[in-house]
Amino acid sequence: MACDRKCESSSPECSSPLYSRREVLSGLGVLGMAAAFGAPILLADDRLVIPNSEGFLVVDRKKCQGCGTCMMACSLAHAGVSSYSLSRIQVLQDSFTDWPDDVLIATCRQCQDAPCVQVCPTGANSPDRENGFVRRIDPELCIGCKLCITSCPYTPVRLQWDKEHRKSQKCDLCVDTPYLDEKGGPGGVQACVRACPVGAIAFTRTMPDQSRKDSYDVNLRDAVWKQLGMTTD
Amino acid sequence: MTGYVGKILRLDLTERRAIEIDTEPYRSWGGGHGLGAALFWDFCQDKTITDGRNPANVCIIATSPLNGTPVPSGGGRCEVLGVGVGMHPVSWFTRSGFGGRFSTMLKQAGYDAIVIEGRASTPVWIDIRNRKIQIRDAGELWGQDTWATQLAIRDLVGAPADLESGWWDLNESAAEALDPARDQGRTTQKPAILSIGPAGENQTAAGCLLHDAGNGAGQGGFGAVWGSKNLKAISVVGTGAVAVADAAALLHARNVTQKKYVTPISQPDFAAWSKIGVLPRPLFMNPPPTDQRRPQACQGCIAGCRSRFAIGYGNESTCQETNWYLPAVRRVAKSLDELVEINLKAADLVQKYGYNSFLFQTGLHWLEHLHEEGLLGPGKAINSNLPWEEYGTLEFAEKLIHALSHREDIGADLADGWVQAAYKWGRQDDLRTGHLQFSYWGMPEHGYDPRAELEWGYGSILGDRDCNEHCFNIIFTNITAAFAFAKPMRLQADELVGIIAEKLSPYAKNRPEVLDFGDANMYSEAVAQLVRWHRHYTRFYKQSALFCDLRWPDFYNTNTPDQRGATASDDAGEHVFWNAVTGEALSFEDGIERGRRIWNLDNAIWTLQGRHRDMVHFSPYVYETRFEKGELFPFYMWPVRNEQGEWSYGDLMGRSLDKDKFEQFKTTFYLLEGWDTASGWPTRALLESLDLAKVADTLEVAGRLGQERAS
Repeated sequence: MACDRKCESSSPECSSPLYSRREVLSGLGVLGMAAAFGAPILLADDRLVIPNSEGFLVVDRKKCQGCGTCMMACSLAHAGVSSYSLSRIQVLQDSFTDWPDDVLIATCRQCQDAPCVQVCPTGANSPDRENGFVRRIDPELCIGCKLCITSCPYTPVRLQWDKEHRKSQKCDLCVDTPYLDEKGGPGGVQACVRACPVGAIAFTRTMPDQSRKDSYDVNLRDAVWKQLGMTTD
Repeated sequence: MTGYVGKILRLDLTERRAIEIDTEPYRSWGGGHGLGAALFWDFCQDKTITDGRNPANVCIIATSPLNGTPVPSGGGRCEVLGVGVGMHPVSWFTRSGFGGRFSTMLKQAGYDAIVIEGRASTPVWIDIRNRKIQIRDAGELWGQDTWATQLAIRDLVGAPADLESGWWDLNESAAEALDPARDQGRTTQKPAILSIGPAGENQTAAGCLLHDAGNGAGQGGFGAVWGSKNLKAISVVGTGAVAVADAAALLHARNVTQKKYVTPISQPDFAAWSKIGVLPRPLFMNPPPTDQRRPQACQGCIAGCRSRFAIGYGNESTCQETNWYLPAVRRVAKSLDELVEINLKAADLVQKYGYNSFLFQTGLHWLEHLHEEGLLGPGKAINSNLPWEEYGTLEFAEKLIHALSHREDIGADLADGWVQAAYKWGRQDDLRTGHLQFSYWGMPEHGYDPRAELEWGYGSILGDRDCNEHCFNIIFTNITAAFAFAKPMRLQADELVGIIAEKLSPYAKNRPEVLDFGDANMYSEAVAQLVRWHRHYTRFYKQSALFCDLRWPDFYNTNTPDQRGATASDDAGEHVFWNAVTGEALSFEDGIERGRRIWNLDNAIWTLQGRHRDMVHFSPYVYETRFEKGELFPFYMWPVRNEQGEWSYGDLMGRSLDKDKFEQFKTTFYLLEGWDTASGWPTRALLESLDLAKVADTLEVAGRLGQERAS
């Protein structure tokens, strides 16, 4: 059975398009899906209806100091190495552009409809019932097909390609952070939030407006920020 | 070998070859300056050269194991080494440094350091992408300023044009992307580019290396070194990672720093006395021009010291470059807004031309004096057609920077060094009167006069350049500002020196008298011990581990209950971060000892270059005139003791240095260091004790090995 989606995989397990999402889901059956996703999953017109995430990261691009600490803390907490490319949060900046357009912070939106979850042919990318339905990729199940990466509708794409392990990865709100000394995930800490020196990243349980591209970019500046001589508008 | 990425890139510009060598043999040198000095020793074949523009010079760009990690204010610096340009009487093997993203990106591209050798026959730039090296023609880039150069290189390497463009796939083909062994990966980041501008191209002593909008390696004239090598820029982008030994310990220590040592951002103490523990604020002499801005920081920094604005100028400039023109602008600006605008646009000028504005710190006063005395101007003894009647305007600033960067007008004489120009103009007596306050090695006084702030002055003249290390200078800043602006004196003198002395292991631990800069103590063994500690601390922790000068060391910290700072602490001290990254078991004192080894290798190189203690003198004005006028304040406050041994804060202005007593101080210092007191040269016994027998061999062959002391 050929998959109808573009597949960039170089994984031996996926040397040619092998799976359609429907086929995988059909194969799993309802019980299988429940086991895989930890929650009832409904199919409606080829769409998965999945529980909302119980946590989100919001950022303030006007506040960020561009130090990259969040990126390095993220990759360290998850993988024990410091790397921009392996960071689940991406801070893009341009020295030769003026504020506020000189910085862009790209975090996973934990989307309500989660296209990256929808397309995953193996169920590796799924809402985690044990951890507030945060959309996570199980590296044991990921076959490196990159469908999740190509399906993300945002720029930059909010998933990352781990070239060494040939897997996709994404923000899990620090559920799986073996190098963090505190519990992560919804209700716990997030490495990027904790490490940010200026408080430009925050965790919230309130789902930002899914219809707006900019709804995750919020104002986290307060009276202290004004005392430091910077606008809170 | 965690913290390091394992490879060093040698660039032979003469043959246009790139060669990789392993980092492992250099590991004992730490990183940064230690690593670079060891590489210089191995790859500079003629260590007697005294002008960095000599093709035999080797320029090293060196990272630290901490670079590319979130060590607080330790992840983003980068060290530059080689023989400098424009110093006097000799351009020593020297150093500079810069911040930003370059060192992080270099490591993610797979290199711990770059060794630049030889000279290209025509202008080139270097394109580094994940250990893929291209030496490319820079004909189209030559003549462009540093910002235009970087923007042009972004296009040449195919980097995404804007932030909305998403990920940049570094693979050259789909097949490469699909091959696990060749996949270059992706990044959202811009390439990190280090460039020279016209000042470097024209090999002026003021030539800087400039990265992004405002990260400059200014002192030492390394822009001229690159210009002499026909090297316009190095661009680097990588998608790799820096492995650390104990990621959990690193993240924990970073969190401790944030929670314990930094003033809480929710309820900050804006008057806190600390280096690591402050909130991000730009280091300006005047208010920022707008609140439409962000703080802007080097990688891993815990409190950015710069800004990016919404107004189109001044981005990433801070401190000296934002006020090099200030005394002149004050004369013409009709409002504070205009004053700030001219100053920040003048900062942009020096960044773009790649011109080391620090030479103006005292140099501009000198030029102005010469003009006012009728010595400099059209048809004058020092002929200059610069429009001095426009002095203070932005137009004059640009004409001045342009002339000096292009060796035009007075720039023709100043290009080889300002003290050299003084001699050429017959104005060497200005070094005696103090009209030209270039204190040490042909470099300008830094605002912290050697007649007052002893560790700065002594450290500079006993070393290779204006040291530019604010370790103890924070004492002056905190205390003097408190006096000047009637701010709370957060620590009394006895408390302050006691806390600092606790951290001065091994030479001065619990010896607060080392900090007494009063007249009676200024040439003492105690002060010599402080200078030793400072030299060794900075050579390792600040210039090799690359902890930022602005945030470290953190001796005292009023954010903590006991007012002890993070430095040397067991929870967030420098060595804690070093060990978390490298997996070593370094004690704080071990780091000081490593610094001593590096410092001694430097001295061996200076010795081969021709140094002798007879050369180690300040400019005459330091001995012959009194320190009467401060750069920042009308007094210079520092801890001092009275005859009863009681501590207070006293004013150090109004004195000069005694040349004979300074000679005695040098002898004391040389004895403590184990150097030959007659020559200042290292001895074989000393070098062998530092595992530097091969260095001793070389000095012996050159006939420049110090005499051992009779036991």
